[in-house]
Amino acid sequence: MFKLNLKIAWRNLWKNKFYASINITGLAIGLTAFVLLLLYVNYEESYDTWSPELKNVYQVRAFHSYNAPDNKQYWQTSNESRIAALLKQNIPQINAITKVENDWYQNYALTVKNRKSLMIKGIRNADSAFFKVMPHSFLKGNEATALSKPNSIVLKKDLALKLFGNEEIIGKTISIVRWEGDAVTDFTVTGIVSEPNTPQSVNFSGIIHTGEFDKDNQNPTMHRYMEIYARLFNHENLNQINENVKKVYINNLKSTFTDSQYSYAEFLKSGNLPNCKLFPIDEAHQNPPFIASWIEKIKPVSLIVTFLLLISIINFINLATAQSFQRAKEVGVKKVLGSNKGLLVWQFLMETGLQSLFALLICGVLIELFLPAFNQQLGLNISFWSNQKLFFILLQLFGLFLIITLLAGFYPATVLSNYKPAAVLKGSFSNSHKGLVLRNSLIVLQFVISVTLIIAIGTMQKQVSFMNQKDLGFDKSRVINISANYNKKIANDIRKVSGVQYVGATTQVIGNTYAYADKINFQGKKLNLNMVTVTMEAFPALGIKPLQGRLFSSIYRQDTINTVVLNESAAKQLGGVVVGKQFRSYENVFQIIGVIKDYHAESFDKSIIPTIYKVTYLGGMSANGNLLVRFNSSHYQIIIRKIEEVWKKYYPNYPMNYQSLNDAFIHSLEDNSRFMNMIVIFSIISVSLSLSGLFALSTFVAKRRTKEVAVRKVLGASNMQIINLLNKSFLHLVIAANIISWPIAYILIKKWLDGFVYRIDMPVLPFIMATITSVIIAILTVSIQARKAAIGDPVKALKYE
Amino acid sequence: MIELKNIEKYYSSKGIKHYVLRHVTTTIKQGEFVSIMGPSGAGKSTLLNILGMLEEPTYGTYEFMEEDVTRLNERKRIELYRNHIGFVFQAYHLIDEMTVYENIEAPLLYKKVGGAERASRIADLLDRFNMVAKKDLFPNQLSGGQQQLVGIARALAAQPSIILADEPTGNLQSTQAEEIMQLFQKLNKEDGITIIQVTHAEKNAQYGNRILNIADGVIKDDFLVTTT
Ligand SMILES: Nc1ncnc2c1ncn2[C@@H]1O[C@H](COP(=O)(O)OP(=O)(O)O)[C@@H](O)[C@H]1O
Ligand SMILES: [Mg+2]
Repeated sequence: MFKLNLKIAWRNLWKNKFYASINITGLAIGLTAFVLLLLYVNYEESYDTWSPELKNVYQVRAFHSYNAPDNKQYWQTSNESRIAALLKQNIPQINAITKVENDWYQNYALTVKNRKSLMIKGIRNADSAFFKVMPHSFLKGNEATALSKPNSIVLKKDLALKLFGNEEIIGKTISIVRWEGDAVTDFTVTGIVSEPNTPQSVNFSGIIHTGEFDKDNQNPTMHRYMEIYARLFNHENLNQINENVKKVYINNLKSTFTDSQYSYAEFLKSGNLPNCKLFPIDEAHQNPPFIASWIEKIKPVSLIVTFLLLISIINFINLATAQSFQRAKEVGVKKVLGSNKGLLVWQFLMETGLQSLFALLICGVLIELFLPAFNQQLGLNISFWSNQKLFFILLQLFGLFLIITLLAGFYPATVLSNYKPAAVLKGSFSNSHKGLVLRNSLIVLQFVISVTLIIAIGTMQKQVSFMNQKDLGFDKSRVINISANYNKKIANDIRKVSGVQYVGATTQVIGNTYAYADKINFQGKKLNLNMVTVTMEAFPALGIKPLQGRLFSSIYRQDTINTVVLNESAAKQLGGVVVGKQFRSYENVFQIIGVIKDYHAESFDKSIIPTIYKVTYLGGMSANGNLLVRFNSSHYQIIIRKIEEVWKKYYPNYPMNYQSLNDAFIHSLEDNSRFMNMIVIFSIISVSLSLSGLFALSTFVAKRRTKEVAVRKVLGASNMQIINLLNKSFLHLVIAANIISWPIAYILIKKWLDGFVYRIDMPVLPFIMATITSVIIAILTVSIQARKAAIGDPVKALKYE
Repeated sequence: MIELKNIEKYYSSKGIKHYVLRHVTTTIKQGEFVSIMGPSGAGKSTLLNILGMLEEPTYGTYEFMEEDVTRLNERKRIELYRNHIGFVFQAYHLIDEMTVYENIEAPLLYKKVGGAERASRIADLLDRFNMVAKKDLFPNQLSGGQQQLVGIARALAAQPSIILADEPTGNLQSTQAEEIMQLFQKLNKEDGITIIQVTHAEKNAQYGNRILNIADGVIKDDFLVTTT
């Protein structure tokens, strides 16, 4: 029976090649998008699960605002290094604890004797306990002693191959320069670890152990912020452990408030909620501080992908129910031959299943084709066939297959198996209107999705061009940002290069911004404002002009003592006209000499924070790391080569890293443009799927109404009248879909736009355009088929019947 | 075998009842070959459909093999289809996607007849109807008469005790029609299968042994055919 049904399914598929191929292709595309999403979710879910021992590994997180880009409190991963020793001493459940330097995403220069220097990212400095906490399998070397001596390095296998090829490695020396101006340090290779089979939060290409983190600084006012990881003996009673962690942390924090000026009580009063906890490492990746987690980011995408799949399933249902009367006779006959409903439902489900299976196979091919591009776009490393969780993924795919088959097949199967044999066999049965309402609502739903996406594209396009053209408050052309700290001598040498106009430094520039808030007292008003240390030429280098007062200049000696410039937001907080006035911060007095326009140092979803700029080191200074160089000519290549020559004189072992502010700006829009590209791709797919469905359906309806059309023609209807007749039945659906999608699109787009601090008003044009476009394409699609029916020879059609 | 008592069937539209069958009372015994005759629209097909349990009468009782079937549940009815009733249609109603062989096999699959038994029964039928060479063809590759032969072979495959045929020769030329009628007669006489057919042609009715004449939903005549 099964075999016979399979045969019939195949023959039916072959007979309806045209519809079947539309169904299968559509489903394959919908599935491909969905499976890519599935792979992505699996990938992100798999973070930090490469070893069962990770169940006992925790990330130490404290709740504080230090280092946060907006000076607000977060559960941060970068914490005061003393917490490690503190917890190890006071929490008996901790087996081992390790401190590892934050990933600076910085290239270090690595040199093996007699080989070329390589710039390598992901070399991280850790204390000797690193591999006691993080379970890594050593291919070479001894896990227990690898980091016990200072100046040792453990490499990942990939990096070892890159540096040494297949040579014997253990005991060999690698010379490393980490930051420009650093001395060369030699490290001895003590181990090679394999790449874990899942992505890891504590990612590295090599772990160095300089020894400087094995002990905390003796001076209690010196702080170092690092990532801290703990391994517990077992993972029971986490809540109870964390209560102790909090207690220990807070008690210690209190003891650091020795300064009589600022007490712990005051610290609490100003809104601080100090806290600390052990955070399971396999949850760390899903809960990053400062930025949205991948789950948040993926939400709109999953919605769209689900819609895509839905659209292709709808095509399936629509064509199947429209075609169902072709199969009515078969149902009738089978019923009088003794088949029951269940058997028939099975048969039709199997036919759907066969098509889903084909779609799944095509999807497999498409995945293989698109995965590399997908990986590249998102900077991931996902594989399908060599995936660690292949079995699990195949299981998910099987589940997906069942769900799709049921969704697409169940309704048509029920409709079919419900046909009454008497009605069918008597021949009185012709075009039943069964399923028409459902079919129409599904078409409406398809078009609602498509029209909403078209409106979304239109609006996003507008917001993107708004962002591209927005006055940033600074001039992003002809400036490069060299990642280096400001050094007077180099700055002067660079200034001498012809074509260089200004050389300055700041911590607040697009691409690399760092915020630090301080307390000020302005005429009795107490405020917390962002403080940025700049150099004299930072503003001219950024092309910023004063709104009120003046900017820093070396002709005023006072500027190196206690003057500041405010941005507009800061000036507004202090009451508007502020030039010439003074404020206090701790025991220091500052003089306001000018106000500049707010300028963007981050992407448009973040508002510009009120900021005080100063050249003086009074009240502390921030190391900046951004050396801005403005050109007054456009021969960039030549100028940059000359600057590099200057650089080499100072830092022979360390190449110059730089980026133009234009690129930095484009980079800041990247997340957005990626999202936009994806929406565009999905919209095109969804619209073409909807149209292919409509095309197939109109073909079918035109065919089914051949006789009606013939009769009408014999009665004198014109071709145009016939085309209109067929169009009308679909057109009102498309219009209904438009009306429904307007409010939906409005709500969704408003939500998206609200994510931007700097945004356009809700535009009207995309709504109108989407409606016109959808109506025109729908008419064109249907008319192709309608025309065929209209110009056919009526005599033939009537004879045939 | 069949007992109809006071069968009525009407369709109501806009509150008005349109009677198709009225006061139909009759008995059909095992081994009879009954021809239902009458003008177009008289209710012949409706009566046959009621006999075949494809339609329910609005009123009256119908016993099939001593069992009241007017309110039979679905499962019971399917049982009867599988084991006792074979249908033959004017438009043949073969399944287009199945070969001759598969069409004949279908009822046996529903009846869950074992593979070997199935093969031998089908071989037997194909042989008897001279269709062995055509067993792998699809219905649209056969002539009307051949299709109807397959339709009958399919009806016989499950070895039913009764065959219901609605104008089985309605679409056929007279020579092919004759062939089918002779086959029915043979099945009736040699295999003892009860046959009820609807027919327009007096000539076809002569192959049977009893004629029911229907007009306006009422049995006007019920008589035996004098043996020729
Ligand atoms: N579903 C129905 N609804 C209304 N009237 C019907 C329906 N089916 C059959 N009829 C009517 O019942 C009458 C008898 O039909 P039928 O039994 O097919 O006649 P016959 O087979 O004798 O030509 C006809 O007048 C027909 O119009
Ligand atoms: Mg009839």
